Amino acid sequence: MQFLFRHPLILSSIKILVVFMALSGVVAYLVYMERKVLAFMQARLGPMRVGPWGLLQPIADGLKLLLKEDIVPARADKAVFLLSPVISLVAAFSVFAAIPYGPGGWTITNPNIGILLILGLSSLGIYGIILGGWASNSHYPLIGSLRSAAQLVSYEVAAGIAVVSVLLIANSLSLVVIVNRQQQMGVWNVFLNPVAFVVYLIAGVAETNRNPFDLPEAESELTGGFHTEYSGFRFSLYFLAEYTNMVLISSLAVVLFLGGWLRPFSSLRWLWPLDYAPVVALVGAGAFVLWLGLQSRVRGERMFFAALAILCAALAGVVGIPLVLSSIQGVFWLTVKVLAVLYAFIWYRATFPRYRFDQLMTVGWRRLIPVALSSLIVTATMLIWTGYRVVPLLAANLLAGILTAWMVSVRGAGNRSRPTREAI
Amino acid sequence: MNDMLRKIFLTDLLKGLRLTFSYQRPEATYTEQYPLERPPVAERYRGAPRLNNHPATGETLCIACNLCALACPENLIVVGWERTADRKKKLTTFTYDLSRCMFCGLCEDACPVDALELTQDFEIARYSRDGLIWDRQMLEEGPEPTRYTR
Repeated sequence: MQFLFRHPLILSSIKILVVFMALSGVVAYLVYMERKVLAFMQARLGPMRVGPWGLLQPIADGLKLLLKEDIVPARADKAVFLLSPVISLVAAFSVFAAIPYGPGGWTITNPNIGILLILGLSSLGIYGIILGGWASNSHYPLIGSLRSAAQLVSYEVAAGIAVVSVLLIANSLSLVVIVNRQQQMGVWNVFLNPVAFVVYLIAGVAETNRNPFDLPEAESELTGGFHTEYSGFRFSLYFLAEYTNMVLISSLAVVLFLGGWLRPFSSLRWLWPLDYAPVVALVGAGAFVLWLGLQSRVRGERMFFAALAILCAALAGVVGIPLVLSSIQGVFWLTVKVLAVLYAFIWYRATFPRYRFDQLMTVGWRRLIPVALSSLIVTATMLIWTGYRVVPLLAANLLAGILTAWMVSVRGAGNRSRPTREAI
Repeated sequence: MNDMLRKIFLTDLLKGLRLTFSYQRPEATYTEQYPLERPPVAERYRGAPRLNNHPATGETLCIACNLCALACPENLIVVGWERTADRKKKLTTFTYDLSRCMFCGLCEDACPVDALELTQDFEIARYSRDGLIWDRQMLEEGPEPTRYTR
């Protein structure tokens, strides 16, 4: 028995299963969260009919997608058509093997080239999109997938350069080392290089094909973009892959820039009360759910919320055990931060209108890449000149970022070369 | 300078983000959960007609004067009465054809005893035209729409 649990294959398999299940659930409820947050920002209520406050909506959606007819267009390239959503999904999910969820054993694997592996695998997902658009044998999917290819290639450059400046600070490609380095430095990487963080965040939004960069699936122009011809189960695979990518980009942002599993101010010992945040959060969630239940006049709804509140209280009790508390610490903070970044993604979607395609390319090549490059060069220079010191790094990066932003946007070449109305 | 701030620190985008964030407060929500929660109707809204009874005795307030029927531009009210032994009019039937009503409220204004009244009830749709011809009982009891709880 002991041998079985010690065996790396079995332990990893269990971990993979847990991560896969958890991720699927998270993605399902991420869609719910997106619909709710978006609705509130647009002065609506969002899903309300399936279950109390629409809480069972993701399950209903999933069932609907599974039961729908799986249509393959008559003139489509059948093999590629069937394969491409699977490529997208596998690429999206396999990346999570290399993400560190917490200190110690809270990783599936910890390859020393972690970030390279992640960038490489997640780029494979583009094949799914391009092949799917091509195999559909239809105009809109083809245009959508071409746009997607162009966009992903352009923004991968900016995101990659932003990541490299983090790698310089951490001096390693391993994600675990990157987080540990932030612990050693005493500050998260955002405070060393905010410019790279902003660039990475913008490029990340573009890489996940989300507003304001959602041209590959612009509803008003391309009906659905690359997945127009997909329906039912195959569409749900694309959907799953897309939202998994969203989770991936935000977890990467958290690991690279926001201290990964580290508690805020993890180097300050006297802030130990923050260690009890998981318990407080669960009790708070339970109280909120109880309050929601008391507001409701429907009996079944009240029972549902009461059960949920009891569940929260029980979980809070379990988490309150010191041993459990110390071991889930990392996962809790990582989850909170990832949720915050995901919330920001949804927030952008509610706020910003879509770019035109030439604007998208201008932002990518003429604005983001120069800014990211300048931040990279300055980080490298400062690391050699002053070493790993927080203030000089931050000051130099901010200065360089502002200067480059000024050069590319106010004095920018992009502004001058834009064709005038007469020229068109 | 302002232009520079806008282009470098993207202050416009931040302003937009602040605005959408502020819309999340619960009281900003416009959606009404209609069958569950009925929206408040304006005070002087003219909806389903009602024949009022005296709250204490339960007898009708209508004196069968026929003024409402005369006031109605559509001639959709028919008041039926009989003479009592002391030569007073007593209401027997009252028919109100809602399918032709334009809710002008002239009948309500004409009524000398506040018996006929257009209430704030707005759920008066029916499956047939016949259902819209309301008799005295319907007018006194009101339409009683289905109350949904989920």
